Amino acid sequence: MPESTLESFERTVMPLLDDAYTLARHLVRDEHDAQDVVQEVYLRAWRHYASFRGGDARPWLLTIVRNCCYTWRRSARRDTVEYVDDQHGGEYGAQRAADTGALEESDRSELQRALDQLAPEFRETLVLREIQDLSYKEIARVTGAPIGTVMSRLARARRHLQQALGIGARETS
Amino acid sequence: MASAHVREELSAYVDGELPPDRAMEVADHLTTCTGCASDYEAMLTTVRTVRDGMVQHRAPDVLRARIRASLREEQPGTVRRHAPVPSRAWRIPWSAVAAALLLVVASSGITMVATSRRASDSSVAEEVLASHIRSLMPEHLTDVRSSDQHNVKPWFNGRLDFSPTVPRLEEQGFPLLGGRVDYVHGRPVAVVVYGRRQHVINVFSWPASRDGAASSAPRTRNGYNLERWRQGAAEYWAVSDLNAPELRTFVALLRQADAPPAAPAVPSRYAP
Repeated sequence: MPESTLESFERTVMPLLDDAYTLARHLVRDEHDAQDVVQEVYLRAWRHYASFRGGDARPWLLTIVRNCCYTWRRSARRDTVEYVDDQHGGEYGAQRAADTGALEESDRSELQRALDQLAPEFRETLVLREIQDLSYKEIARVTGAPIGTVMSRLARARRHLQQALGIGARETS
Repeated sequence: MASAHVREELSAYVDGELPPDRAMEVADHLTTCTGCASDYEAMLTTVRTVRDGMVQHRAPDVLRARIRASLREEQPGTVRRHAPVPSRAWRIPWSAVAAALLLVVASSGITMVATSRRASDSSVAEEVLASHIRSLMPEHLTDVRSSDQHNVKPWFNGRLDFSPTVPRLEEQGFPLLGGRVDYVHGRPVAVVVYGRRQHVINVFSWPASRDGAASSAPRTRNGYNLERWRQGAAEYWAVSDLNAPELRTFVALLRQADAPPAAPAVPSRYAP
């Protein structure tokens, strides 16, 4: 019996829900917002499932997650400019106040606080690399950035975390 | 090679993403430059710390259920054709349903597989309950929506090898909502759906096997009330979140309507 579209979607895309949700949580952070975004993601993925040409569904789905998260951010906070992008030198500290207001400081680990200080472009690159284990090429495809940019974003995000966590060359022999 | 360049590339070097010739140059440099070597160690520690520390979230089951429900609503070329819904009041809040589903799954671990020939009463109860909860998802309650028994009863013809009874109980406060075919206890079963205020009552029936008790004591699972009985050659289960006394009343009415004194108790289609 041929597999129905819904069955095929259920088999290839539904198992990626945790991955989609994780990226959304790191990008929009509020858990309820993240759930709303991910539901929208799945609806879009479902509507465009015909255009998915097989292969690895994960980068495909994560691209939709990422785009939905940015759409959500734009519509939710159109009037505040919070993040410094690549071209503007990445002064991480500047965004901190705007970014952390909604979250309970005490709930977050030191690492989480350091991650929250990162602009979303850097955070998403880290999530795609460290949690999703994507290659630079795949990250470039998901984020629409050149591989060189992926490389420098990761390097700078890590340098920032290194400083924030107090990991320094002096502490290692 | 300049140390400044190497420091820039340590992150990609750790990821194994440098082109091979660059990677070799960095490796060479690290054997001779202690400053860069300790930077490399720090980078390794950072990557490890971040990898271990970044939270991999688990999507809540409620979200999973929500997505599945919305996909089915969106499904193109849906084959089901519905009569108009009796009332919008029967729309079920999915979040409560999904939460209940989560609760049931988490607390009792539904066993959907009925492998033994004589599945225990208790495992049938679990299946019936799971089916009831599933039915509360949007678009899952009925395959045929009608408050008219003359629509619902014939609908089952050809879909099942038996004919369930579909009495009218509207005057007693239990309007008929429709019917569907479900799969329980290793076979297709008839489900006739009744309402009571905001509550849904699913009545399952299928031809009974020879063994098993005539009826069981009412039971409660995860806030749902279940009643099981036998009438004629059929096995019945009623499930609802309706309170137990009212469900009892409903079952009594159903049995009464099902077996009028003048008619034989065994519906002919159930006969072997």
